[in-house]
Amino acid sequence: MTLDWSVVWDNRWRLIAGAEMTILLTAITMMLALPGGLILALLRLSPLRAVRSATTWFVEFFRATPLILQIYWMFYVLPAAFDIRLSEFATALLGLTLNVSSFNSETFRAGIQSIRPGQWNAGLALGMSKPQVMRKIILPQATVRVLPALASTWVSLFKDTSLVSIIAVADLSYVALKIRSETYRVLEVLTAMAALYCLMGYPQAKLVDWLHRRLKVTE
Amino acid sequence: MSIRTETPTRPRIGSDAAPILSFDNVCKRYGSLDALAGVTFQVNRGEVVCLIGPSGSGKSTLLRCANALESIDSGRVLMDGRDVHDRRTDARNLRRRMGMVFQNFELFPHLTVLRNVAVGPTTVLRMPAAGAAARAMELLRKVGLGDKAAQYPAALSGGQQQRVAIARALAMQPDVMLFDEPTSALDPETIGEVLSVMKRLADEGMTMVVVTHEMDFAKRVGNWIVVFDHGKVVEQGPPRQVFEEPTIQRTRDFLSHLGWHGESLAASDLLVPAPSGSYEHRTSD
Repeated sequence: MTLDWSVVWDNRWRLIAGAEMTILLTAITMMLALPGGLILALLRLSPLRAVRSATTWFVEFFRATPLILQIYWMFYVLPAAFDIRLSEFATALLGLTLNVSSFNSETFRAGIQSIRPGQWNAGLALGMSKPQVMRKIILPQATVRVLPALASTWVSLFKDTSLVSIIAVADLSYVALKIRSETYRVLEVLTAMAALYCLMGYPQAKLVDWLHRRLKVTE
Repeated sequence: MSIRTETPTRPRIGSDAAPILSFDNVCKRYGSLDALAGVTFQVNRGEVVCLIGPSGSGKSTLLRCANALESIDSGRVLMDGRDVHDRRTDARNLRRRMGMVFQNFELFPHLTVLRNVAVGPTTVLRMPAAGAAARAMELLRKVGLGDKAAQYPAALSGGQQQRVAIARALAMQPDVMLFDEPTSALDPETIGEVLSVMKRLADEGMTMVVVTHEMDFAKRVGNWIVVFDHGKVVEQGPPRQVFEEPTIQRTRDFLSHLGWHGESLAASDLLVPAPSGSYEHRTSD
């Protein structure tokens, strides 16, 4: 078996463009899914039962079904059933954002509920309204507490973006698999793809470890 | 430091005006437990009313009902003539006139000491940041912690944290201060500094309701003592009567259980040096 690594070098710009798309998707998704998750978490803590249960169903749907199905569903069913036509990129972004928002909402909710009730009482006793206590007292503490968990979700998201290749969004996976099918150099291309993901993912994973150590909860 | 042989107690402040805070037959149930079973007493302006009694007797619950952190099942709590638990009452408006100090301090760990004290005025009173910071600094100096303004609560001792908590409550310029066992979570050596600050507040004429196990403090600083047991007020009266001639056996049992013998208040915690030279201590002569 002979290896021909030139195929990787010759296609380096396409691979780099794919990696850029992967990073772009990850970053934009997270930028949307952080406020998205927070809003869902607050809705799940709403005093209104109807709001609570509607949000619960929404969140549980996205947590309980595979991401690949969600992306396919939005790609095929949205245009067919609702006549909503989005570009591949927008479809991918929507699918990822809804999925990650659901996971983030559970993280935020756990963080909010981990703050002891005395902190609520202290804020209320000063005359603050509940939204004021949430904004000034609870959320700042909860956010720091869940930062490591959010960072872990980020790393999962970074890898899960590969699923958008199924709807022809030109991320690193899509590009690499395309090069493979053009050149039949399976081993070289997949190895290069693994190396690129690893190169980008390793520092992120290390950052998560660092956050976990740095922000270990001490009471 | 000389030793007092006789402890002067403060008289109840008779008042023509209506009491600032009154509890009228307040009842509160948790499931089958009567946490409060018809509690009635009142707090006049400028008075220090101390609530004593065994753990679980309803003292702390009553305090949380006073500013509507907990609901009540029946009865009335009137703050300056207004029904605290009435639906039409804006509880927030009443709460900001009642400063509360918690057993576990409940400082905001993500804010500096200065911001802990300033956050009430800026958030609730919409005070400009600079003015709130100035007020906070003044109060921190008053409780002897001016040099800790930039620290985070975690860097402070328990006694220091509780003094910050007192400053935080005072920053709202309340009409009444509610203290929920303010020294119960403290190391013995820091209890005195907190009690000193509280005594100074009382001397300045602050109206205070204090749930406490510090009998020396209750006798010396209190104008009126309310004894709780099983969610009921079993006895109330001026300190001299409650501590020296308790009329009720339950009170006698409780006091003797605490090792109280109705005399010699000599080596009081109140006589420890003042924190950081902020104010003079009054020792007896």
